[in-house]
Amino acid sequence: METTRENIRQLLEMLDNPEAYTEQEIQDIINRDEDTRETYRMMVEAKRSSRQRQADKPVDVDAAWKKFNQNKQPKQHSYNWMKIAASLTFGRACSRSEEQMQASLSSRLVASFIGILLVSGIAFAAIQIVRYAQQNTSKPEEVINTPKPTNVIPTDTLTTDTIAAPQPIIYDNIPLEKMLPEIAAHYDAKVTFVNDEARQLRFRFVWNPQKGIEQVISDLNQFERLTVTLKDNQITLE
Amino acid sequence: MLDKRILENCDLANDDQARLKSAEREQFIEQLFRRNYSEMIHLARVLLGDDGEAEDVVQDIFLRITDSDIPPKRSTSGRLLPTGRKNDSYLLIAVRNACLNKIRQMQLHERVKNLLPIEDEMDLQPIDRQLEQLEEISAFVDEHLEEPHRSIFHLRFDEDLTIAEIARRLGLNPNTAYKYLAQSIQKISNHFKH
Repeated sequence: METTRENIRQLLEMLDNPEAYTEQEIQDIINRDEDTRETYRMMVEAKRSSRQRQADKPVDVDAAWKKFNQNKQPKQHSYNWMKIAASLTFGRACSRSEEQMQASLSSRLVASFIGILLVSGIAFAAIQIVRYAQQNTSKPEEVINTPKPTNVIPTDTLTTDTIAAPQPIIYDNIPLEKMLPEIAAHYDAKVTFVNDEARQLRFRFVWNPQKGIEQVISDLNQFERLTVTLKDNQITLE
Repeated sequence: MLDKRILENCDLANDDQARLKSAEREQFIEQLFRRNYSEMIHLARVLLGDDGEAEDVVQDIFLRITDSDIPPKRSTSGRLLPTGRKNDSYLLIAVRNACLNKIRQMQLHERVKNLLPIEDEMDLQPIDRQLEQLEEISAFVDEHLEEPHRSIFHLRFDEDLTIAEIARRLGLNPNTAYKYLAQSIQKISNHFKH
């Protein structure tokens, strides 16, 4: 009983000045015994109840809607470019049968734009959905003419150790069944393929490990052919 | 054969995009936003304790809704259906998940400093129940804690004072303030233990 009281006292002391403790010390203090852990959980709830009382102030929905519309413009603009990039491959595929459908000039402009985005370090999902069967019967898909990034990693040597200095990783024409589990592992998530055909879809996808998993899922959903959902750290591909 | 299929996909993609940008959809999003924003921002503030972060979470959810074609429910005729209160609960779940993800990405020091959970909450209750329980905790503090326990509790959790500051404010010995706060938490914990 005395020990428990002392453990909780240490917890309260630590919470007054967490900067004075290392991460390990903080973990040790909170997890010293079940009573201390429960005390921390209760304090989290107590703090939430305090925030709930304080958060009961009126909300200006009109101002929020206005702000949303302002935010929407640039975001949608970038999404549109991503759509264009994603549809570029389709466009090329279409042009094989109807060459007049896609003007090559606009394709080059889009490709150049994507090149600039990559160079400026903005991770953009892009391009190349190719069926596995097609891969076997035709030469490898042409890649948009972007400057060769320095951190393109061959599939076989793809590293998941991005914690120290996470740099964007480019998956170039890699089947989804290989790419997605590697990305998911970084976020401790699991992957389920509802549709087996999706396993063989190939992409050029730029993954920035610094992004949150939700943002990555959102980026993946920019591809017209993909529906990816995240629930309870479970990524599902339909 | 393959080219034909890809062409069909192109057409479908164009149709989808046209649908997404329709005025009908814009109107739907605005209704959804206006109907749910207050409740969503409230939940995000409770879970994150930071108004700016809370706003980002909610705005981001609506941006993703705007960019996806998932949420609007369509009738068989293809018209967007007005969504009722019950059906909008998925938005609160989205808020909670987004907040928990945000917390998960924070450094341990930041979480502890703001009294945020440091481990994944495995047995998540329905959100309505979770908020009810927070109200019950507030009521319990006001009705069942005696002075100076109640004041110490409010100074610690409402004003984020340290024990030393609370002791100074109330003219108490810091050890006494520690003891009273620990007793209050223990009392609440015993009352709400499942």
